[in-house]
Amino acid sequence: MNKVIDFEHRMAAHCETGTLTALLNYNGLQITEPLVFGIANGIFFGYLESSNFPFPTFIVRSRPGQIRENISKRLNIKLKKYRFKNAEKGEAQLDELIYKGIPTAAQVDFFYMTYMPDWQRVHINVHFINIIGIKDGKYIISDSYYPKKSELSKEMMRKARWAGGFMAPKGFIYYPVDVPESIDLKKPIVTGIKRACRNMLSLPVPFVGVKGIYKFADKIKEWPSLVRDTEHLSHEIMKINILLEDQGTGGAGFRFMYATFLQQAADILKNENLADMSKKMMDIGDKWREISYFAAKIGKNRDLGKERLNELSELIRNRGDEEKKFFRDLRKMV
Amino acid sequence: MKEKDLYVDFKPQQAVYYVEKDDSTYGPVISGSQLSHDYLEDFYFKRKNLEKELREQLADNQISPVYYYMTLQEIGIGDLASRVGVSKRKLKKHFKPKYFERLSVRIIKKYATIFNIPIVSLLQLVIVKQEDQERIEFEYMNTKNDCFIITKIGIKENE
Repeated sequence: MNKVIDFEHRMAAHCETGTLTALLNYNGLQITEPLVFGIANGIFFGYLESSNFPFPTFIVRSRPGQIRENISKRLNIKLKKYRFKNAEKGEAQLDELIYKGIPTAAQVDFFYMTYMPDWQRVHINVHFINIIGIKDGKYIISDSYYPKKSELSKEMMRKARWAGGFMAPKGFIYYPVDVPESIDLKKPIVTGIKRACRNMLSLPVPFVGVKGIYKFADKIKEWPSLVRDTEHLSHEIMKINILLEDQGTGGAGFRFMYATFLQQAADILKNENLADMSKKMMDIGDKWREISYFAAKIGKNRDLGKERLNELSELIRNRGDEEKKFFRDLRKMV
Repeated sequence: MKEKDLYVDFKPQQAVYYVEKDDSTYGPVISGSQLSHDYLEDFYFKRKNLEKELREQLADNQISPVYYYMTLQEIGIGDLASRVGVSKRKLKKHFKPKYFERLSVRIIKKYATIFNIPIVSLLQLVIVKQEDQERIEFEYMNTKNDCFIITKIGIKENE
């Protein structure tokens, strides 16, 4: 049986905010992706070393799922959520929702999204998509990272939803059940900003927030001792660009999206100071983008000697200094 | 970032970026990926070298196909062990050919599912000659038997 829901597909910068924003818009709440990101205090930094990753890495947003939970709590939006151990039951539940005409978000391993270009597909269990139909035995997908609606076979969707491993999706799906048409965003915006400042400045963990940026700056100098050869080092250095620009951040590791949030927040709160902070965050984003360009250039040229890595480390450290000052100032304004 | 500084014409990989528009407001625009536009060739150059190196190690009996695919698909050891349902210590044994050959079909099937490859690809690599790569196509057809795959090989229709 075929069923395709009339759902407007739009690209978004980030999968989690894009999926959630699209569902809220569909259910009648007009809210932008940057507001969802900012209210949920999505901005973050963390330097991670774990056997769950093939190489040390960094994150530039809060823990996956936190954006959804924070939005639900702060905007008082009720979400219906399901997790399944049994794939057959999980598949049947998803199909039932689609046949009822409910667009549903699913957590999947990005690697199995076969409509995406090969070079982009990596195993990461925290990709979010909206499923908006079933046609000829395939799911119709609205994926924020893809320019148009796409299709995925049921077999591939099953692999993606029950991939197992680190942050396993466990068949997780959700959809909003109670969405007010309009919400006073003033208080949620202030809460989101305060929490973002706390997460960037005050968490007692040495590898997150501004401390995480400094840790990244220090640790990158040790990367040559962790790689197989120069080409491997080049690959990992160039991945800095991917993580900052291309892996669903809206550019500059979400800093451009956060600047947009602050501009929209300044309008809503009628707070000129926030408008100034928005410009400052855009400048900080531009400087993160310089790091992206620099990393790509030295990676391509295999110019990866000690001197260049020290230079890269210094650029990252400077971003830490700037963000420390930025979030300290921002904290005082709300 | 100013909107005019962003645009890159690269249709295969589009993404949303937030920029400063002409009227000083910030908002989303869609552009091609600059990194992929400028450096995708380099990515594939490195990837082919890595594939070749790992293939030689496979043929030389230094590594198992599990290590080969794990490295190419960039999965962390802890993540892969959890997906397969074995300890990290046991997984590391699967990297060695002498332990790999003792694996059950059940475990090999799990690896094939994770790596999204036909089960036979854990036991053989099919390489098409360089000059024929544009013409030859493969179609892997699953059957009701999970351990039995039919592979159709043919010349592409447009040739």
